[in-house]
Amino acid sequence: MSAQLVFAVPSKGRLMEQTGDFLSQAGLELRKVGDARGYRGEIEGLGGIDVAYVSASQIVAHLNAGSAHIGVTGEDLVRENISNADRRVVFLKKLGFGYADVVVAVPQCWLDVDTVADLQAAAAAFRRTHGRSLRVATKYLNLTRRFFSANGLTDYRIVESLGATEGTPAAGTAELIVDITSTGATLKANGLKLLEDGVILRSQANLVASKVAAWPAETKKTRDAMLDRLGLAGQALF
Amino acid sequence: MSVQTPRDFEALEAQARTLLSVFIAAGHEAVAPPTIQPAAVFLDVVGESLRGRTYVFTGLDGEELCLRPDLTVPTCLLYLQRHPGPEACARYCYNGTAFRIQPEGADAAHPREFRQAGIESYGDLARQDAEAKTFALVLTALQQAGLRTWQLRIGDLGLFDAVLAAAEMPERWRRRLRHQFGRYEAFRAELKRLTTQPARSIGAIPAAVLEALEFDDPVGAEQRVADYLDSAGIELSGTRSLSEITDGLLSIAADAKAKPLDAATAAMIDCYLDVAAPARLAGTHLRNLLGKASPNIAAAIDTFERRVGLLEGSGVDMSTVEFSAEFGRNLAYYTGFVFEVVAPSLGRSSPVAGGGRYDSLLKAVGAPRQIPAVGGAIHTERLLAVVSGGKR
Repeated sequence: MSAQLVFAVPSKGRLMEQTGDFLSQAGLELRKVGDARGYRGEIEGLGGIDVAYVSASQIVAHLNAGSAHIGVTGEDLVRENISNADRRVVFLKKLGFGYADVVVAVPQCWLDVDTVADLQAAAAAFRRTHGRSLRVATKYLNLTRRFFSANGLTDYRIVESLGATEGTPAAGTAELIVDITSTGATLKANGLKLLEDGVILRSQANLVASKVAAWPAETKKTRDAMLDRLGLAGQALF
Repeated sequence: MSVQTPRDFEALEAQARTLLSVFIAAGHEAVAPPTIQPAAVFLDVVGESLRGRTYVFTGLDGEELCLRPDLTVPTCLLYLQRHPGPEACARYCYNGTAFRIQPEGADAAHPREFRQAGIESYGDLARQDAEAKTFALVLTALQQAGLRTWQLRIGDLGLFDAVLAAAEMPERWRRRLRHQFGRYEAFRAELKRLTTQPARSIGAIPAAVLEALEFDDPVGAEQRVADYLDSAGIELSGTRSLSEITDGLLSIAADAKAKPLDAATAAMIDCYLDVAAPARLAGTHLRNLLGKASPNIAAAIDTFERRVGLLEGSGVDMSTVEFSAEFGRNLAYYTGFVFEVVAPSLGRSSPVAGGGRYDSLLKAVGAPRQIPAVGGAIHTERLLAVVSGGKR
C-alpha cells in the first residue's frame, strides 16, 4: 500500500472534466472507487495508483508536503504557494487548458499609468497627497511581492482579497489589483485595464511531480509506466 | 551561530548584561517592547517587500500581526505611547529577540531569530552630537564585550540630498533618483535615462488628451481630461481623483518637452556617489570635488566635518573609519548619518552592528510631527561568534 503512487486531480468543475479528457486522449480512464460522491479513484488498467480528488489549491499543498506524488494544478498556484518551487516540484507538462494570466490591472481612468514605472510615479504622488501607500487587492501575495520587487515598485500595500477582487477599486477598498484573467472581459466590465508590462505569469494547468514525496523503486516504476502512457517517457526526472 | 547549549545561552546572557550596562551607564533607560507587533506599521514604513522577510500572521479578528523584524520600530511605538503630546527627549536601550525569514540554505550568520541589543535617542536637537554619541556608545559597548578589530563605515544621506538639490532639474526627477538611492544598477540606469530620454513613451496616451495638456493651465487641463473620459465612456472611479490623474499626465507631458539632464550635472552626481575615502580626509576631498557647486553642499560638508570632529572628540579612532557616499543601509527609514561595524572574520554581508538617523520614522508611525531620532543596534549572536573566535 505504501508504494502506491498518489495522483491528485481537481475535484470539481471544468478543471476536473478537462483533466479527465486529457487522460482519456492517452487512453487512461479515471474511475471513482466506491460511492460516486466519494473522493477516491483509480486509473483503469494502470495498477499502483491511488487517485485523490482534491481542490486545486490543496493539490499544491499535497505536492509540497509530499503527500501526493503527481498532480494536476495551475502554475500560478504552484508559484504562489511554494517559495522555491523548482526545488520542490517538477513541471512535467503544460496541459493546454486552465489558461489564466496573473496580471496587474488599474482603473481605466488612470490615463497617466500604463506601465509599472508609471505606477511607481503614481504611488509616490499618492503618498504625498493621501499620506499612505497605494493598496493592491490580491490573493497572490507572494507573486505580487516578487514581481513588484523585481520591477522596482516599493511603495504599495497588499490587501488580501479572496473573491470579487476586480470590484475592489470601484468599491474604494483598494486602488489596483493583481488577479487572474483569461479574456480580460471581467477586467473591462469592472472599468479596469491591464498594464503594458503587467503580466506577472502566463499560467495554465500543468502535470506536476513532487520531488519531496517518498519515491521507492516500486512507485518510480508506476510513475514511469504512467508517464510512458502519457507520452512523457524519458524526461529528466529526479 | 544559533544558541544550542546551556553554555551558549549563558554566554549570550552574560554578553547582553555587559552591553546593557554600558548603555544604562550612559543614561539610556532599559525598555522591553512587545515581541508581537501590528504588521501594518512595519509594512507601511518599510514597505511591502518586508513581508518577504517577516513572519506575518493573522489574529482571530483578522488583524495582521508580525513577529518584530527589528526593535527600532517597536521602540518608536513605545516612545509614542509614553509621549503622545509635544516632543520629549528620551533615551532608551533594549536587548531582545528579532525575527527574519531566511531563504533555504542561509548561512549561520543569518539565523531566523536573533537577539538585538541597541539604543535609540529621541528628540535630541543637537543632531551631530547625538549621532556621534550614538556611534561612540555602540563602539564602547562592542569593545566592552571583547571586540578588538573592526572596519567602520559611515554614510550621509544629508550630503546626497544636498548634491541632488544643487543639481538643476525638476523636483520630480530628484524624487526618481532618490527612490533608487542604494540600488547601484537601477540608480545608474535612471541617471542615464534622465540624460538621454527622460520621458516615458506617450504612445498609450490618447492624442486628444495630449493636446489638452499643451496649455500651461492645470485647471483647464483637468476639465479637458474630464471631457475626454466622458467622451470615451470611461468612468472616473476609485480613490485617485481627477486632479491627481491630471497631475500625472502633466508631469509626463512636461517630461516629454523637457531638456534632458545636463551631462555635467549627471557626472557630478555620479562622481559624488563614487566617493569612498577615509572619513578624516573625506571632507576636504568633497570640498575640492563639489564645494563650489552650491552653498547648500558647502553647508552639508561643514555638517559632515563637524560630526567627524565630534566623533573624534568622543574617542572614536577615526583612522579606522571610511566614508562611502553610496552607503545608505538597506532600510528605507534612514534619513541622514548612517554607520556600520564589520568584523573582518564575518565580512560586509553580516555586519556586527549598524544604525543611523531616521527623522521621519516617528511621524510615519503616528507622531504629530517629525521628531529627531537616532539609534544603533548590535547583532549579539554575531558579536559573540566573533569574540569567542569560533571556539563555540
